[in-house]
Amino acid sequence: MSTPAETSSRSAFLKGAHAAAGLPSIVLMASLIGVGGLTRDIGYPMLAGVLSTILVWAGPAQVLLFGSIAAGASLPAVAVAVSLSSIRFLPMVVSILPLLRGPGIGTGRLLIGAHFVAVTSWTEGRRLLPGMPVAERYPFFIGFASVVMAAAAFATGAGYYLIGALPAALAAALLFTTPLFFTLSLAAGSRTLADWCALGLGFALAPLSTRLVGGDFDLLAVGLVGGTIAYAIHRLRRRA
Amino acid sequence: MLAALEHATGGLWPYLVVILIGFLPTEIWRFAGVVAGRNLDESSEIMLWVRLVAAALVAGVVAKLLLAPSGALAVIPLWGRAGALLVGFAVFWLRRRSVLTGLVAGEAALIVAGFAFV
Repeated sequence: MSTPAETSSRSAFLKGAHAAAGLPSIVLMASLIGVGGLTRDIGYPMLAGVLSTILVWAGPAQVLLFGSIAAGASLPAVAVAVSLSSIRFLPMVVSILPLLRGPGIGTGRLLIGAHFVAVTSWTEGRRLLPGMPVAERYPFFIGFASVVMAAAAFATGAGYYLIGALPAALAAALLFTTPLFFTLSLAAGSRTLADWCALGLGFALAPLSTRLVGGDFDLLAVGLVGGTIAYAIHRLRRRA
Repeated sequence: MLAALEHATGGLWPYLVVILIGFLPTEIWRFAGVVAGRNLDESSEIMLWVRLVAAALVAGVVAKLLLAPSGALAVIPLWGRAGALLVGFAVFWLRRRSVLTGLVAGEAALIVAGFAFV
C-alpha cells in the first residue's frame, strides 16, 4: 500500500508527463534532430549524440560542442566556450528553485531538478508551478522534464540518420527551432516592462558585445548589463 | 597529450568528450545555481534581478544563434533568418500570444526563404 503523499506525488508526476506530451516535446524533438546530424558530421557514434542530449541538456551548448569540433577547434577552447555559453543556467536555476523546494525536497533532489532545467522546462515551470500545491510542484516538474528529455533523446538518435536525407531548407528550419522557440517562450512569459526590456536588451546588446567584448565572454556581459539595466528601469518606475 | 588520450581510449573517446567538454562545463552552472539559490526567497529583490539577467542571457543566446549559425541554418542569408524570426514574433503577437501559431508561421517563413534562395 502506498501512503496518500506517495499517491499524490505519483499523480503529480503523471500530470507533468501529460503536460509535456504536446507542443513542448515536439519543439524539443525538432531542435535536437539537428544535433543528431551534427554528431554524425564529425564521425561520432549515434549514442554519443543521444548521451549529449541527456547529460548536457542544452541545445545551444550541444550545437557549439559538435560545431566547434567540426571546425577543428582545440578541445580545451571548446570546453571554455561551451561553459561560457551555458552561464544562463546559474540565474535560471536560482530563479526556479523557490518553486521546486518543498517538504522532503533536499539538496540531492534539487540537484536532480536543476539538471532538468533548460529553456523549455524553465519557462513552462515558471508558468505552471506557481498555481499548484507546493507538494505537487517538484514531481510535476520531474514528470514534465523527463518526458521532454526522452522525446529529445529519441529525436537526437533519429536525426543522426535522417538529417542527411532532408532538403537543405527543412534542415535549416529544424536548426531554426531553437532561436525561434526561445524568443517566443520568453515573450510569452514577459509580463512587466522590465521583462520586455531584458528581452530587448539581451537581443540588441549581443551584436555590440560580440564586437566590444569579443571572445567567449560577450554573453556574460550581455546578461549582466542587459539584466541590470532592465532591473534599474523597474526600480525607477516604481519610485516614479 | 590529448592525441595520446584519444588513442588510449579508442571507441570511448566521443563519450568522454561529451562528458568532459559538454556535460561538466554546463552542469557546473546548474550546480552553482542550487548552491547560490538555496536560501533565496522568491519575492526578494535580488531574485527579480537574477530573473532579468537570465532573460537577457537567453535573448543573447538567440541573437548569437541567428548572427553566427552553424550547420544547415548558415545557408539561409541573415535577412532570411532575422525576417523569419520577425514573422514568427508578429504572428505570435497578433494571435494573442500563441506560441504554437508563432512557431508555425516563423518556421514556414524560414522554409520559404530557404527554397527561394538556396
